Amino acid sequence: MNQNNSTILKMVDLLAPILSSRDVITDVIKIALKHTNTRLVFLDFIDVKFISRSVAHELLMIQNQFEHTIFQKKEIRFINMNEDVRKMFAIVKDSKTHSEHTKIEFNPKKIDIDSLLSKI
Amino acid sequence: MEQVIIPRNTSDLIEAQFEVLYNVFKDKSRDEDLEFDLSQIQWVHPLVILPISAYINDTHSKYILESCKISTYLDAMKFPQGVDSIDLFRQAIISGRSYIPITVFRKATGVFREKLEAMFQEKIAEMLGAIKETESAITYPISELVTNIFEHSKKDIGFICAQIYRNKNYLDICIVDRGRGITKAYEEEKKLQLSDEDALRAAMRGESTKPNLESERGFGIQTSKNIICEALEGQFILISGAAGLLIRKGKENLIPLPEFYWQGTIVAFRITKPLGPIDIYKFLH
Repeated sequence: MNQNNSTILKMVDLLAPILSSRDVITDVIKIALKHTNTRLVFLDFIDVKFISRSVAHELLMIQNQFEHTIFQKKEIRFINMNEDVRKMFAIVKDSKTHSEHTKIEFNPKKIDIDSLLSKI
Repeated sequence: MEQVIIPRNTSDLIEAQFEVLYNVFKDKSRDEDLEFDLSQIQWVHPLVILPISAYINDTHSKYILESCKISTYLDAMKFPQGVDSIDLFRQAIISGRSYIPITVFRKATGVFREKLEAMFQEKIAEMLGAIKETESAITYPISELVTNIFEHSKKDIGFICAQIYRNKNYLDICIVDRGRGITKAYEEEKKLQLSDEDALRAAMRGESTKPNLESERGFGIQTSKNIICEALEGQFILISGAAGLLIRKGKENLIPLPEFYWQGTIVAFRITKPLGPIDIYKFLH
């Protein structure tokens, strides 16, 4: 939809109500953005229930790329996000800011298969 | 072609399914063409039927269903080929039934894969009777684990299915690929020579296989496990190569799997219906 000097891209129509796949986002959204002829583009998340971390990260990268490119520069804004979508973007933005690796402990107990199966 | 008799279930415990899967593929050469004899089984769980389905799809293996007491169920599950389109998924889903058939995600189908995955997710939430405030706890692990197939496995196809046991109040989900596996991913992307056991440890510590430092960090599988086991009080199994992880009731076990090798990755989990709102974002870093 193109209203005056902006375009609205409805994510649920372009994609699905649950957005999981980075590669699909890259393919579909970048092409859709390149076909818009306005400087300002709204990515409308109405009826989108959830986005994965990968998708949130990819969309933020796309937003950044289009804002800093010389040709086809665009301002991309995210609108009508539900709480889950908004929180996922916040999480990803926060992890980009605090990019130091947090060490996670994982020390499972090693058990041989025969011991495990003998307990069944 | 070696015949493999799928044994009868002795128990509904997730460990028992692990045992069946281990015995099915134990002492087999990698990618060997097999003949799976399912005639003796009286029930089968996703953790067993989905890897067999994926294996048949990936090799020239065959299967026998003669005299199988659950052949109607396996047919309804679309064993072994699965459904790989929105139309076939809609046709296979029957309202009120307790299963979601074997669903095949193909990378090449692009946006249709995304729509198919969304339909699968919504069906899971519906089967569980999940309230709106709990849906993200169910959606997050499935999204992350399916995404891992297309971002890490170097395989363009993934498999998923689900079965709810209403009398027992739990739902089993299994996600499978026949890709390069976790160990190979670390070797090829990070130039790390790890054992299969160490590769699983690294994955669960969130050590990313992504080569690009600008990419998202590798926390998907670890966070998914935490949401499943802590937020949803579920049980979790991860198998890749010759090692497995079994996490249930607060216990985390790493299990070497001698004379066994799964080319790719298998994730299976068992969850109950969430009883109240769940905040998954405290689990995300």
